[in-house]
Amino acid sequence: MLSLKNIGADPPPLRKPRKVVDGSFLVLLVFTLAGGVAVAWTSGLDRTGVIVAEAFRFIAVLAPKIAAGIFIAATLPMLLPRDKVGRLIGRESGLRGLVVAAACGAALPGGPMMTFPLAAGLTAAGADLGATIAFVSGWSLLGLNRTLIWEFSFLPSDLVWTRYMLSLPAPVLLGLAARAVMQRRVA
Amino acid sequence: MNILIGTVLIGGAALWLWSYLPNSDWRRASYEASLDTFLFTAPRVLVALLGAGFFAELLPEDQVRGLLGSEAGLTAVVLAIALGPLTPGGAFVSFAIGAAALKAGAAPVAAIAYVTSWSLFSTTKIFAYELSFMGRQATLMRILVSLPVPFAIAGLAHFL
Repeated sequence: MLSLKNIGADPPPLRKPRKVVDGSFLVLLVFTLAGGVAVAWTSGLDRTGVIVAEAFRFIAVLAPKIAAGIFIAATLPMLLPRDKVGRLIGRESGLRGLVVAAACGAALPGGPMMTFPLAAGLTAAGADLGATIAFVSGWSLLGLNRTLIWEFSFLPSDLVWTRYMLSLPAPVLLGLAARAVMQRRVA
Repeated sequence: MNILIGTVLIGGAALWLWSYLPNSDWRRASYEASLDTFLFTAPRVLVALLGAGFFAELLPEDQVRGLLGSEAGLTAVVLAIALGPLTPGGAFVSFAIGAAALKAGAAPVAAIAYVTSWSLFSTTKIFAYELSFMGRQATLMRILVSLPVPFAIAGLAHFL
């Protein structure tokens, strides 16, 4: 476990604001509106209203998680020591950094609301893109919690084993691939 | 994992992190950074979850199951990989569909391809959370390098 910074005497770091409305948000907005129109067209306005109400109820249930996730994403990079994170899972961390990142991802118990804020926090604290991708892929493909609780309860165990064993090297390989692409871009 | 346990876990992690903020200057900076992140993230999560609801309605579960179950061979695998990202909902939905497809006669390789493709490319995860927190460049890079993975895993599973 990384120790947090001893920072009582230092001023907090400055922040860099991000653009709220950008291209990817507009694309998302257009897709959602198109989906809404399509549902209204095929199933009627009543059904559309029901779906919107369901989505808002779901968001209300998720809200405490989202709030906590946002706080973690914003605060973790302020507190983690950049040099240590960089050494552990930064650009120069080598294969070991990718294995560490993938294993952390696989061990992480939460859903996407836990994973992506954490990944964003680690990136801001000095993890490189390769390690971040290894971390997210480790969680996606090898998440122990999801496989043990959900996958084994639904799918035949030989199939789960086959999938898991074949996926085992993937997060590290994806991290290596991302690093190779980034290096070519820099060169 | 059910929502309550998840909320307790992530809330506990947030409180633990908060306890490390040394003084009021740092706490204020943390709140301001959180507000920035909120302004960026909240509209995306909101719009994406609405969109996920709409697309779930347009692509009902039983139809996905039918498509996976009726096809065979390479077509089924390619179809399974294409359907993975479109599956709405959480882990249990995709595993349940995979299980139902198997029962309906889908090849195990197709089920493996489907679960792998869903794990890596679930559009709900990507639009609601990944783009919101990681930004466009990191998300695109991850998707790009991950594209061959479901094909490779299905191919290897086929020869096992």
